[in-house]
Amino acid sequence: MHTIIEPFRIKSVEPIYFNSKEERIRILEDAFYNPFLIHSNDVLIDLLTDSGTSAMSSNQWGGIMRGDESYAGSPSFFRFQKAVQDITGMPLVIPTHQGRASEKILFSILGGKGKYFISNTFFDTTRANIEFSGAEAIDLLCEEGKFPSVPAPFKGNLDTELLKQCIIEKGAANIPLCMLTITNNSGGGQPVSMQNIQEVKKICSEYKIPLFIDACRFAENAWFIKIREKGYADTPVPEIVKEIFSYADGCTMSAKKDAFANIGGFLAMHDADLAQLCRNLLVITEGFPTYGGLAGRDLEAIAIGLQEVMDEHYLEYRIRSIEYLTEKLMAAGAPVMQPAGGHAVYLDAKQFLSHIPVDQYPGEALVGAMYIEGGIRSVEIGSLMFGKYADSGELIPAALELVRLAIPRRVYTQSHIDYVAEVIIEVFKNRKNIKGLRIVEESPVLRHFTVKLTPVD
Amino acid sequence: MKNIQQSWAEPYKIKMVELLKMTTPAQRKTAMRNAGFNTFLLKSEDVYIDLLTDSGTSAMSDRQWAGMMLGDEAYAGSRNFYHLEEVVKEVYGYKYLIPTHQGRGAENILSKILIKKGDIIPGNMYFTTTRLHQELAGGKFEDIIIDEAHDPANEFPFKGNVNLNKLEALIKKHGANKIPYVSIATSVNMAGGQPISIKNLKELRLLTRKNGIRIIHDMTRVAENAYFIQQKEKGYLHKTIAEIVKEICSLTDGATMSAKKDALVNIGGFLAVNDWDVFEEARNLVVVYEGLHTYGGLAGRDMEAMAIGIGESVSDEHIHARVGQVIYLGEKMAGYGVPIVKPIGGHGIFVDAKKFLPHIPQDMYPAQTLASEIYLDSGVRTMERGIVSSGRKANGENYYPKLELVRFTIPRRVYTQAHMDVIAESAARVFERRKSIRGLKMIYEPKYLRFFQARFERL
Repeated sequence: MHTIIEPFRIKSVEPIYFNSKEERIRILEDAFYNPFLIHSNDVLIDLLTDSGTSAMSSNQWGGIMRGDESYAGSPSFFRFQKAVQDITGMPLVIPTHQGRASEKILFSILGGKGKYFISNTFFDTTRANIEFSGAEAIDLLCEEGKFPSVPAPFKGNLDTELLKQCIIEKGAANIPLCMLTITNNSGGGQPVSMQNIQEVKKICSEYKIPLFIDACRFAENAWFIKIREKGYADTPVPEIVKEIFSYADGCTMSAKKDAFANIGGFLAMHDADLAQLCRNLLVITEGFPTYGGLAGRDLEAIAIGLQEVMDEHYLEYRIRSIEYLTEKLMAAGAPVMQPAGGHAVYLDAKQFLSHIPVDQYPGEALVGAMYIEGGIRSVEIGSLMFGKYADSGELIPAALELVRLAIPRRVYTQSHIDYVAEVIIEVFKNRKNIKGLRIVEESPVLRHFTVKLTPVD
Repeated sequence: MKNIQQSWAEPYKIKMVELLKMTTPAQRKTAMRNAGFNTFLLKSEDVYIDLLTDSGTSAMSDRQWAGMMLGDEAYAGSRNFYHLEEVVKEVYGYKYLIPTHQGRGAENILSKILIKKGDIIPGNMYFTTTRLHQELAGGKFEDIIIDEAHDPANEFPFKGNVNLNKLEALIKKHGANKIPYVSIATSVNMAGGQPISIKNLKELRLLTRKNGIRIIHDMTRVAENAYFIQQKEKGYLHKTIAEIVKEICSLTDGATMSAKKDALVNIGGFLAVNDWDVFEEARNLVVVYEGLHTYGGLAGRDMEAMAIGIGESVSDEHIHARVGQVIYLGEKMAGYGVPIVKPIGGHGIFVDAKKFLPHIPQDMYPAQTLASEIYLDSGVRTMERGIVSSGRKANGENYYPKLELVRFTIPRRVYTQAHMDVIAESAARVFERRKSIRGLKMIYEPKYLRFFQARFERL
């Protein structure tokens, strides 16, 4: 078997700015130990997110030049609409400036006090939007998804037994929709199997609950189905994608992930009445329904990206490059989530920094250590992002303390990834010297974006 | 003395073109019917000259396109953000910046922070999205623009001015603590792109300061407003547009900006404030609606294009050509006898539909009707700014605005003088056969901002 290579070559490059370890110590201090507050010029390898950070193709840049910026009825919109319809099979397509705006609109309509939304795992902004509406967000991840070091093929699956119980307990009438996040970002970029989607759909249909898909990484999930699920090895990815969406009543998408776009998102659905309600809200905060707060050129880039992402050579390369980094870290004994996910490598910070208690945010401490060691920026997905406070003021920790190294699409080369592995292994060797953190200042919603921290002595 | 040429010849040449499709009268008839006589619902491919809006439709410069290639798409701390922050501080003088995907994103956040239920927000005439955000946040808009603004024929040069007596009466009636801020638009869109004078703004500043009330600046067309101050206000002829823009901003406490107008970009906006506490709150709220506070829902490249566009927008030569073209079109239309709002504003020509079609009563939508007739004549797309745009009050009654206008908005740097001629001639042709034009009936009405998606039938 030959090395799996990128099915593209580089057309345009962006310089990386180097700095010293001493400089980084100061920079991190100035950023209050929060990676979101570091200037991107001070970052060598930026693995903060795979969202909006992809390298677009020359075809997409061609689309950028072709964008029609008419306020209403732009042909760029019609091309975008067709691309989304082709992939999802859903007739009603609503562009938004990004994924969280789609969620905001959907959950302002369907949410409210006394409502429950169920998912394998809701992502941070999705959960925030649900809770903002007064409703409750319930995660019912399958058991194997909760243990980072236990490998299983579909750790993103939703526990269907718990789903049934939950529906009976909360009452189907109080559950406006059930949502599958594919792949499951907060749970390690782990895929959901086609079988699980089918089973969830069956239960939802039984109780007349619409099934929505958070489709940010639909192509990566489809690839995992192809290589891991029985009966799909010979099915082309576009057909797998079509089948996934055929079970859904609607979807939200951040096009900043699997559509290789730097900005954009959409909502798509079958229900015309719901679509009308969504459009009514859309014009208030986003824009007119044929641009949704996006430039025409971005609609073009998304339309093209949605097709490109289903190329199997690309997906093979993409998933393999994540696996490559995971394998290197495993070989050095660093605790990583297994198996490798679709868009990121997840370190188990609880195990990595076993001397730091969860209320000192071991994940965020590890993020800081990797930045100082090698200028790598990553993100905590643990108690800082998802933790809550009990009435007593005590931290209710998240189930997992993870650090995500999200790999931007088509941006970094194998030597960049080798460097990342070296830095992490170095940090792992010196892990005992890393200190925990405490919060100095925080916001009530989505605190991880703006929180300020300081090391615990 | 600055040396501004008398002709409005453009201070640029064309670097890239976009091909247009010509349509036949039969094709336009079908397209208009399919669009429910709402120009918003036309496909842009069926449009020859698109004057629907000047928002997001500008031609960017080669430097802006080069800036697009310098986009840093990092999720947090993008260098384009810091560039934009620096430019906003330098050109407008506001201290703290929150980028948003467009103007209404900024309005949404600001309204949620500053307005409490039962508050009154006085302003120099409403704007559709601005008023809606104020209402959704629990506030009530009160118009304090001078009466001249409601008279399309009145040639007062600063029809965007505030009537200070109206504001004082509101303060007396409700108390200053019920007024979180006064909302001031530079170049009042709904009045026909009419400017506010520095003198008026200074008086307003004194009155608001005395009462501890903020001024929030809807600054989307501030440079165009500055041009009218330079040309018409005593003592400003020798000042540059950049100086005047900065002076305007210095008289206010914060601003919402749709950069899709003056700042020559296709997408983007921001909220800028001088008050740290408001900034802190806005920074927490922007992640919920827009994106992290260093990108606000914009690609890095779009922040870069905005930073460069803001610089270009305050150049004297640019604004002279921009407004010069609008005035050229307006004078040509007026020469054909078409009734337009006077004086001519900065971003478009506003045709007085009540005078154009006096036989059509306001609830038969004369401006909506006229917009559809102009399209049928020549493929020129314009927009209604009258009873349809005004929408309904909280109690369900229609607002009946005094102005019933059709807006011919001119995108920046896009169309040529020959295009302007086509537009004026089309308006003249429709004017000649005005007596035979019938009104419309609304057959579908959405709940919010109905003008976007409403559908009509011919009577």
